[in-house]
Amino acid sequence: MKPDSGLCFEDLQVGDEYRSPGRTVTEADIVIFAGLSGDYNVLHTDAEYMKASLYGERIAHGLLGLSVQHGLLARSMPDRAGERFVGLKWKFKGPIKIGDTLHARARIVAKKDTDEPGWGVVTMERQVLNQRGELVQEGETEHLVSRRLG
Amino acid sequence: MDPLASDRKLYFEDVGIGVVLETPGITLTETHVALFGGLIGDRPADPQAVPELLPLCLSSGLGWRAPQPPLVVLAFMGFEWKFLRPARIGDTIRCVSRSLTKRLMKEGGVVIEERNILNQRDELVQGGKLTLLVAKRPAEGHSPAEGTAS
Repeated sequence: MKPDSGLCFEDLQVGDEYRSPGRTVTEADIVIFAGLSGDYNVLHTDAEYMKASLYGERIAHGLLGLSVQHGLLARSMPDRAGERFVGLKWKFKGPIKIGDTLHARARIVAKKDTDEPGWGVVTMERQVLNQRGELVQEGETEHLVSRRLG
Repeated sequence: MDPLASDRKLYFEDVGIGVVLETPGITLTETHVALFGGLIGDRPADPQAVPELLPLCLSSGLGWRAPQPPLVVLAFMGFEWKFLRPARIGDTIRCVSRSLTKRLMKEGGVVIEERNILNQRDELVQGGKLTLLVAKRPAEGHSPAEGTAS
């Protein structure tokens, strides 16, 4: 990703949509995320304990799902000039189980000016679905994008 | 027989509104960035930059290292988050959090937690509000299986 190239604020339109390929979430993803984050909650790490739970098995960290979604869409959308992530609102709607295949969709829903000349804010709605078409996560992300110079 | 100290957990009834909790710190390294980038399939262009989602992901593990028993979270329902300033490799981040409100429901209770991530200069890097479904203290002699919330 080159921050000095890519689409400018003017090039992005409300209604632009993107869809990512699928990615199967594996046991390795969960184990690596637990190690990296230090979040060893039994929900994600103790298969025996989880047999007695509502889910019957280990589930992925919600933040792993959010992070996988981010990577899937980053590879599916054109680069945006100078982009900075400024905020998000997110809901975890359903569990992600080992072997589930996720894909993500995004749509630009708003563009607005900011106090900083040379920058605009783009708002995107996003959904993460599993292989059964069930919505597992959704939310709204806000990004600062550079305006075209001159 | 006295319960083991290691069995001690915090339930909805134990959540103190407004009590400030601070975690230990963790220094962000190239290894964190490389592992995270490999896991999600997206890396920043600047080799010294830290992806915005990484401090958020590390904050869940920092919470487990804070000096109080773990909160029995049944589900992470959602959150709102702002990215205020970038983190750089070599920064040391820690979390400061407090519960803002709690509301008893049929299955557990909903707690709104304000969480802030600070760097070694006490600057606010990221922060927001998390909505957690927390287990009620079980009746004597029983313990809830985490993940059994409806």
